[in-house]
Amino acid sequence: MMDWFIGNISTIVVSTIILGLVLLVIRKLVMDKKKGVTSCGTSCSGCAMAGSCCRKPSIKEN
Amino acid sequence: MKLKIALAGNPNSGKTTLFNALTGSNQFVGNWPGVTVEKKEGRLKGHKSILISDLPGVYSLSPYSLEEVITRDYLLDEKPDAILNIVDATNLERNLYLSTQLLELDIPVVIVLNMMDVMRKNKETLNLEGLAKALGCPVVEISAINGEGVDQAIEEAIRLAKAKKTVHPCHYFSGEVEHGLAHIEEAILHHLPDQTQRFYAIKLFERDPKIAKRLEMTPAQLAHIEEDIKICEAAFEDDAESIITNERYNYITSIIERCYLKRREENVSLSERIDNIVTHRYFGLPIFALIMFFVYFVSVTTVGAWITDYTNDVVFGQLVPNAVEGFLISINTANWLNSLILDGIIGGVGAVLGFVPQMFVLFGFLAFLEACGYMARVGFILDKLFRKIGLSGKSFIPMLIGTGCGVPGIMASRTIESDRDRKMTIITTTFMPCSAKLPMIALIAGALFGGAWWVAPSAYFVGVGAIILSGLILKRTSLFSGNPAPFVMELPNYHMPTAINLWRSMWERCWSFIKKAGTIILVSSIAIWILTNVGMAGGKIGLVENFSDGFLAMLGGLIAPIFAPLGFGDWQSAVATITGLVAKENVVGTFGVLFGFADSGQAGTALWAPLASHFTTLSAYSFLIFNLLCAPCFAAIGAIRREMNSGKWTWFAILYQTGFAYGVSFIIFQLGNLVINGIFGLGTIAAMVLLIGLIAYLAKPGLPTGQARFRGKKGGQVI
Repeated sequence: MMDWFIGNISTIVVSTIILGLVLLVIRKLVMDKKKGVTSCGTSCSGCAMAGSCCRKPSIKEN
Repeated sequence: MKLKIALAGNPNSGKTTLFNALTGSNQFVGNWPGVTVEKKEGRLKGHKSILISDLPGVYSLSPYSLEEVITRDYLLDEKPDAILNIVDATNLERNLYLSTQLLELDIPVVIVLNMMDVMRKNKETLNLEGLAKALGCPVVEISAINGEGVDQAIEEAIRLAKAKKTVHPCHYFSGEVEHGLAHIEEAILHHLPDQTQRFYAIKLFERDPKIAKRLEMTPAQLAHIEEDIKICEAAFEDDAESIITNERYNYITSIIERCYLKRREENVSLSERIDNIVTHRYFGLPIFALIMFFVYFVSVTTVGAWITDYTNDVVFGQLVPNAVEGFLISINTANWLNSLILDGIIGGVGAVLGFVPQMFVLFGFLAFLEACGYMARVGFILDKLFRKIGLSGKSFIPMLIGTGCGVPGIMASRTIESDRDRKMTIITTTFMPCSAKLPMIALIAGALFGGAWWVAPSAYFVGVGAIILSGLILKRTSLFSGNPAPFVMELPNYHMPTAINLWRSMWERCWSFIKKAGTIILVSSIAIWILTNVGMAGGKIGLVENFSDGFLAMLGGLIAPIFAPLGFGDWQSAVATITGLVAKENVVGTFGVLFGFADSGQAGTALWAPLASHFTTLSAYSFLIFNLLCAPCFAAIGAIRREMNSGKWTWFAILYQTGFAYGVSFIIFQLGNLVINGIFGLGTIAAMVLLIGLIAYLAKPGLPTGQARFRGKKGGQVI
């Protein structure tokens, strides 16, 4: 067991780093989603809507 | 002491530029009216207790547009401690119309005369003291773009706010109107503070329904004041709202006669001379087409492509993969992990990031066109065309924003008052090629068409064409029939954009793209690699030698036949199309993983040789068209859901977009196959029937008459 662990230590470390990175990205995406921040291709300061994505539209549906 | 200071003024008067100067923020500044749709807030530099609000630009405090509602509600409900009223000094008459209304709100007002440098350049002078005396409030001159006078303006606003010194409006209307207003104040507004009674009395005189509701007027009270209004209307032979408007303009004219001096003879300005050419009734559209062709040609096919080739060949083709591979081998990681990192992560993310230089060049051009004022003219040029299909030029603003990203484009449709026009704009806005679609356009133009000059510009015109065609189709249905609402937009003067504004605009968009590559595209690339390399082989689940045994190939194989009539019925293209729903960049990222972008060892377009061998030019173009026009990414679908406020309408939009994309690609591929390859089959017949049916449907009478006309200001002249 120990030999296997030592023999694959580099794979385990790199895999763990990638897994951690992916989990962090997913966490950020989920948190953004909860905050109402969309994954759109522009930043809030560059947007005419000024980051008000999560706000309900003022115009009611007919 | 906490203070709230609001920036209010006409559209495109320089509020956001002043907001950025005051708060140090980087809000987007565009040279077309309606850049600010929602209010923005920030703290004054060096004074954290002072909140600055940048309100959407409005021409009046009437409740006719969303911007006017947002601005008026904020001023009435939040009651800021002071208002900085930005007035475009080069267009005093129109700007002071709003000022006369702000002065009635019982809030301290400082008039900030912006663009005084332009005024001086035109050899025009203004008596500031006389203006301040006539308006009854301080007047400060600034040049927001150069930062001149900004400190003095904010200091004046803080002084007034601290002193709580409200302004008593100096302007009075004709005797009959004042008599009517006095009656309204006396009859039903006496319970309000003296200073606010006048604003509400004028609004009730104008029969403003929102103000009547806000004041909880009873039908009896409304009937009572209606008598006074009718007496005035009879005396002036005009409606109440027009009476007030005329009275305000009479007052403004009297101020301008006293305070404004135009030394130079009335000459045709540079803006007017340019407009005479670029908005010409016959040449306007061809000039627009030529400009956009040039922009896409240079960005995607020439300059942008040279830099991208270098990035792809050297950075993501050699430097990064070689360095990472060398490192992984040196630490002796497992082969599957090397493949995941090199083929999955670098292959997918690198393939997308390689197109950043092209995006940088493209957004540089678009930012220049927006900031110099040309894009506002495009709204005017397209209004005539859009009106024929039942949309107004106002729909162009969301489409203009949509070239950056569909999400804010869809949200910008909020400013369209007509529910029918708004829904149609939402459905068609994402036809415009957004930044996420650019890598796909560049990839297909470069790798599959050998950098053909027409492919990239055609993507833009296919988007515009799809909007026009959809307008024609949808307007003939009962859901969208009817005339478009009138469109009024002031055309700003042309000016040379500042380098910092251009840089900010380009950087904001590219940085967002890079961040997206590092998040959604990264996770998607890893998922695609796993699903490609893991599958059933020999009755067991595990790593597979051949991609065609992977789970992704199995899933892709199930949906691939749907796309076979469009010319790309292979599992790789089907998977790329589906992953494009997560984010459109994923189309290229998926190809990067599936065709070993980081592993090909080739250079230039040969880097994508395995992909190129997979398509014919016709099927590649069909693939491009389908992915440009089909349902947008999930973020944009979410925005459609929010703006439509209806699940049914969202599904209608998605199904229409996908059906439309399928139909167009089908016709292109099947008829192209007949013309280019001489292949005739059932598909060709079906495509012909579809095309003839569409033409027959559009040839039916019943087009909207388009009676409403565009009204605006062309280079300083109202047209």
